[in-house]
Amino acid sequence: MKKTLLTLTAAAVAVSAHAETLTFDFKDPKGVNNVSFLADAPLESIHGLASGVSGTVTIDTDKPAEAKGKIVVATESLKVPNPTMQEHLLGKDWLNAKAHPEITFEIKKISDIEREGNKGSADVTGTFTLNGVSKEITVEAKVTYLPGRLAERSPTKTPGDLLVIRSEFSIKRSDFNIQPGKNLDKVSDEIEIELAIAGAAPKS
Amino acid sequence: MIQALRWLAAICAVGVVLAWFALGAHRGWTKTSVAIEKIDPVTEIVGYEMQSRFVPGVDFLVVGLGGSAGIFVLSLVLSKFLTKKNHP
Repeated sequence: MKKTLLTLTAAAVAVSAHAETLTFDFKDPKGVNNVSFLADAPLESIHGLASGVSGTVTIDTDKPAEAKGKIVVATESLKVPNPTMQEHLLGKDWLNAKAHPEITFEIKKISDIEREGNKGSADVTGTFTLNGVSKEITVEAKVTYLPGRLAERSPTKTPGDLLVIRSEFSIKRSDFNIQPGKNLDKVSDEIEIELAIAGAAPKS
Repeated sequence: MIQALRWLAAICAVGVVLAWFALGAHRGWTKTSVAIEKIDPVTEIVGYEMQSRFVPGVDFLVVGLGGSAGIFVLSLVLSKFLTKKNHP
């Protein structure tokens, strides 16, 4: 009887230890997290980068479909290599960075989850807000869960887990009121976005 | 004076083309920064670091060669003006 009770307790502990709810912080002190964007344009495509990524994602490792969170990109962190383009990009006729300092994606629903070990992919539906306009979009995301790997990236060797999210999707700038129907000969309406970010969940 | 302007135009044109070639012969717009790749060994994320670097593009060529052409045209105008003044 005592042995059975011990076995059941051990099993319960093992299950509860396995099914964890973790909150991953995507503010990366190493500055590797990035979002890149590509817009077709005459002469050469405009390739820009954004490094000011923050936000959190809370996920139950056994119920990833219930994950919640928000990824934030600071508009001012968007960079293109040409100084005139940079000025126009953040100016009030394009992204209006002063009025809309953040670009956000808030997770609403996760579906079509495919999981293989610590890697997986899913369709993530959420509210994408750009230039002050919010729109629901669905993107495919590839996720890698790296349990116990935070210490390898942390200068203070903090123990914890890492969550890597990668996604590629495209949006139409006209959907977000960015010069709708204008300057199509200079910058394409369709903008390709690529995201590669890692979040950290420290454990004490 | 006219000869000096023509020499200046030629030097500017050659200098602009040489500088464009030497700094990468970039056939897009002029860049003042470039993205340097860095790979995080743990997450395998390819990150980018923006570094300040001047990479002249075709707009640099157009402005530079246009300026040289302008100096040359100025030398032609001056030459005509001085010829008219000396031989009215």
